Amino acid sequence: MALILTCPVCGKRNGYEFRYGGEDKGPRPAEAGLTPAAWCDYVHMNKCTAGVLKEWWFHRDGCGSWFTTWRDTTKNLEVAQPEASK
Amino acid sequence: MVAIKRQSPVQFKVSPRNTEVRDNWTVALEYDEEGRGPWLADLAHKTRWDLQDSKVGEQRPCDLAVPATPGSCTFANDTLVNRMNRTQTSVYHLGAAAPALPDFAGYTDVTESTVFLALFGPKAFHIAEKLSALDFLDPAKQAPFLYQGPFCHVPCQIVTLEKAADGSGGFLLTCSRGYGDSMIHAILEAGSSLGLRPAGENRFSAWIRGLQE
Amino acid sequence: MNRLNQLPTLRITPSEKLSLNYRGKTVQGVAGDTVATALYANGVRVFARSLKYHRPRGLYSLDGECSNTCMDVNGVPNVRTENTLLKDGMVVKEQNVKGSADRDWLAFIDKLDWMMPAGFYYKTMHKPAAVWPVAMKQIRKAAGIGVISADYQMRGQYDEMFVKAEVTVIGGGAAGMSAALAAAESGQRVVLLESRPHLGGCFDYRVSTTAEGTPLYQRARELAKQVEQTGNIRTFKHTSMVGAYNNNLITAFQVGGATDAFTERYIEIRSDSVVVATGCIERPLIFDHNERPGVMQVGCAHRMARTYGLLPGSEAVFSVGHDLGLEAAVDLFDLGLKINCVADIREDGQNPELMLALAERKIPVLKGWVAAKAHGGKKVEKVTLSTVEGTVNRQFPCDLLVASAGLTPVTGPFILAQAKMGYDSLTGYFLPTTVPEKMFPAGRLTGVNDPAAIEASGRLAGLKAATAAGADMGNLVAAAEKAAASLPGPQRGCKLVTAPVKGRKSFICFDEDTTIKNIKQAIEMGFDVPELIKRFTSAGTGPGQGGIPGHNLPLFVAKYTASINTPVPTTVRPPLVPTFLATYAGYNHHMFKHTPLHDSQIKDGGIFRNIGVWQRARYFSDDFDCKEEILNVRNNVGILDGSTLGKFRIHGPDALKALQRVYVSDMSKLKPGRIKYSAMCNDDGCVIDDGVVVKLRENDYYLTTSSARAGQTVEWIRYHTRFDGWDFSLVNLTDAMGVINISGPNSGKVLAKVIDIDLSSEAFPFSGYQEFTLKDAIFVRAMRLGFVGELSYELHVPASYTQAVWDMLKEAGAEFGIRNFGVEAQNVLRMEKCHVILGSESEQRTNLLDLGLGFLWDRKKADAKTVGAVALRQAEKDVGRLKLVGIRMEDDNRPARDGALIVDNKVRGYVATMRKSFSTGQAVGMALVESQLADTGTRLEIFEDECNGVRLYARVVAMPFYDPKGERMKS
Repeated sequence: MALILTCPVCGKRNGYEFRYGGEDKGPRPAEAGLTPAAWCDYVHMNKCTAGVLKEWWFHRDGCGSWFTTWRDTTKNLEVAQPEASK
Repeated sequence: MVAIKRQSPVQFKVSPRNTEVRDNWTVALEYDEEGRGPWLADLAHKTRWDLQDSKVGEQRPCDLAVPATPGSCTFANDTLVNRMNRTQTSVYHLGAAAPALPDFAGYTDVTESTVFLALFGPKAFHIAEKLSALDFLDPAKQAPFLYQGPFCHVPCQIVTLEKAADGSGGFLLTCSRGYGDSMIHAILEAGSSLGLRPAGENRFSAWIRGLQE
Repeated sequence: MNRLNQLPTLRITPSEKLSLNYRGKTVQGVAGDTVATALYANGVRVFARSLKYHRPRGLYSLDGECSNTCMDVNGVPNVRTENTLLKDGMVVKEQNVKGSADRDWLAFIDKLDWMMPAGFYYKTMHKPAAVWPVAMKQIRKAAGIGVISADYQMRGQYDEMFVKAEVTVIGGGAAGMSAALAAAESGQRVVLLESRPHLGGCFDYRVSTTAEGTPLYQRARELAKQVEQTGNIRTFKHTSMVGAYNNNLITAFQVGGATDAFTERYIEIRSDSVVVATGCIERPLIFDHNERPGVMQVGCAHRMARTYGLLPGSEAVFSVGHDLGLEAAVDLFDLGLKINCVADIREDGQNPELMLALAERKIPVLKGWVAAKAHGGKKVEKVTLSTVEGTVNRQFPCDLLVASAGLTPVTGPFILAQAKMGYDSLTGYFLPTTVPEKMFPAGRLTGVNDPAAIEASGRLAGLKAATAAGADMGNLVAAAEKAAASLPGPQRGCKLVTAPVKGRKSFICFDEDTTIKNIKQAIEMGFDVPELIKRFTSAGTGPGQGGIPGHNLPLFVAKYTASINTPVPTTVRPPLVPTFLATYAGYNHHMFKHTPLHDSQIKDGGIFRNIGVWQRARYFSDDFDCKEEILNVRNNVGILDGSTLGKFRIHGPDALKALQRVYVSDMSKLKPGRIKYSAMCNDDGCVIDDGVVVKLRENDYYLTTSSARAGQTVEWIRYHTRFDGWDFSLVNLTDAMGVINISGPNSGKVLAKVIDIDLSSEAFPFSGYQEFTLKDAIFVRAMRLGFVGELSYELHVPASYTQAVWDMLKEAGAEFGIRNFGVEAQNVLRMEKCHVILGSESEQRTNLLDLGLGFLWDRKKADAKTVGAVALRQAEKDVGRLKLVGIRMEDDNRPARDGALIVDNKVRGYVATMRKSFSTGQAVGMALVESQLADTGTRLEIFEDECNGVRLYARVVAMPFYDPKGERMKS
């Protein structure tokens, strides 16, 4: 209940206002030549990192934007983008 | 023969003392015993537009500038232009009449989409804090400003027009029209111990006139 | 009982009498009394009986840290009467007694403690199996605290508020007030929480003085006045902090006073930084019969006299381990209490001024002595004091034994904020070893006791908190640091845990009747971690939340196990103090949506159900089979409020691309004036939504979704296009338009009376779309659809005009006998046509092909990367998936229930929707079955809940059941 997320439009808001959109896995792969296994991996496989993770969130009760942010899953706190990922 | 009448999404239990028919709306101008505030006014009949365009910042609704940053508002000539995000702006016409919808595909008339209320007067924000965790009295914010966020768990657009540290001031609130009954019930219940009463358009108009002087 | 009515420290108004009903008798208290002090003033000494042994219990701490004084107040059990202000007319009863608290028939259980060693329940409750269900009932009847009746209705007004501030200060004592005042100098918003009904903390009742000679109570009132005069400090009194979460979210609840509109209110505070100035409670002294009525803590005895004007006894013995105990002895002596002896656990280190004051009053002081046993049945009559080593004993008569081993800091907020706690060997406290981000400790909990040091530590913490919240406090912080450093720091604390006793009747936890002996038993059974011993012996699991045993248990365990490690504290969890569920629930507003026709649907006799976020009319008569409603649509004309339908405008240069992404059909083939029915799938090819799409003009479309999906449609379309950077706009018009569905063979005739457009099948065919303006004012979008399988029009009307248009249609239809139909009638009508409703005919795993809707899917638009297409391509090759089939019961008078299972020797599918069809006279419906069972004519065996072995039988039949060629809806 105490998660705070930074919406790029509305700023810092109560985590309850957002819907979780999963880990960031990049754009949809092209359909040509896509194997069932590769597709399944894209849709269903997650890293579930215990640590800092790039995620999609939707500001459901606010401006209605989808955005990515970084979250430490061990503390449930939003964190700055790690240097290594820049 | 059925009368062509328009219905507001909200109905107060008390009937107004004076009304006026405007564009098939029955507009409540004044209620008996409106009290000393805070007040709640139904503005469902005021025209609202949605304006979306990839270059929304270049638009000039009613000859007013669209603010550059989301959350900020332009308020002049009884018209409020609220920047919502990169591509979207809402336009509220708070005066007696509204111009015709401009002939530009980015506009949608959304007057019918929402409940439109004004909650203003002393302790207005003491009522708000019972229903929402949004920080209306943030010292870093200058009225008017727009919040898009939950009010009584319902996603709303809320424009703070006036605020003071003692909780007085006021704001406009829109939410999905279907929530009208629930929203009114929640606000009046939260405001009952603080003396919240329904008010007519006259009092609202006087308030925003003062703000624009 | 006479009150000391003239004391300047009083928090009562003696002239303002209040009455309460106790055990059927009306007794009097005064304004400012708690329920407990009012009862005490009326001679009540035994307030309750203990959970297990039915031991008499009385006033102990005055802050509600144990269940000793929990009572039933106005029908609410387990009310902490020490924390509950008296209101006129309260009805108070004892709990967990047979008879009365004073004469409890179950008191004999105290003698049977030998039968109930630690872990008694765990070890004995399983065999012999036949005996225990009976025994358990009796035990449960005898044990416990309050009882609530299952149909008890909570009275009162439960409010809630969500406060935003820059700094929150928890604790309104001298440190907390100093912190709030200092933080407020920044101009930031400061919230101050105090659990008692008044500010002041440990200064509030003390007459000892500051270095300048001001009595502490007076100093507290000065600070409180400053706080009240500071505009940017918001003070919440009688407000207990109950939770602390990430990002310094603090939750608390406030008890309403006489002039408040609320009974209690939940308060949620978001602030950047937090000052914790919760102070100390006392660490209970453990000795034999240490919880007899008449044994109380120092603060309790002192505040009884100073705050409530009630001298807590006539003849007292003190057994204490800190200077506050000596200070109380001097002050209570001056107020008229006879003191037979003061035993101080400490050999040395006492404040010399206090020792001098005791000597002046000829109060005997024994250093290195401690209470070993309290004598007396329902109240203390005498006490055995012993040396700390237990070598020498002496007895003193008394009716009041003031006992306290030391102090213990109230660190709950830190523990809730995930701070690591460690043992501090100087103070003997468990303190945070690393303080959570932007959280600052202040005051007595840091170990300081000097009044000036308490204030200085508060000021320093307040300034730091304001800085952490973004204020520039210049060199004020450095100055405050210097000032605090020049004052006395943390003091050495007393470490003694128990008097030299065996501990059979020495209680470490009052709530759960846990003795030192129980703890020893647990340790001897192999438990060595306090957290596990707590659970095995249940010490600290009662309503007091470890307030009594929290500090002593780990100290005792470390000592008894001769551990070389430092003691490890047990943890606490929110809520820190007992909170009503009603308070958490708050207003509990039911936020439902109503359609623009809501009121008229009620007037027309609609019976409503909550369906998703909406309240909708499901039936229009008591006949829940809806026979009349259905037949009137089939044979005549019915009218339905369909306003909950999702409605959207999508426009912009890339609108078509977005539609191609989410819809399975090819939306580039839309024709003007025609509607296209299509579906949306998820990435697994499972159907999530269906609806129609209309092309209004170039790059401008109007679409509908199912009622349940409307709330997620914008989110869904934006999610699946989030990497593409497309330029399109979505407008949710769901609530902007009411939807009136008029259906039946006579629907065209009714409509023709109201509008003047050509309704012929040539001009307005099935699947046609038209726009027109009614009465020069009302813009209407009209669609010709066939969901219910008859000639049917759907009018999308501006919400504010929907009622007017509805009334026109009802008026026009009167001559035909038009009548409302509800959601259930519509459900049966469309079922007869085998038109699916997602969520009824589908569930999470049902894909487009399973439902037989594969014809909607256009495979030739791979570039669009249509959501679900990849999975559908794979699913085409799958065998053994569930298929949607039509079924008819062998007995037409016995439709199976929705959700009934289709079985042979295992589950093979289930019935989705089934009704007695009045149009066909058959019991028909749709079912999802394994594909091997999907051939027409297959006999299906159906299992219903509570069928008692009797199976129902049906056969797979062709779909649809009614008007198979669709002549009626298309004509």
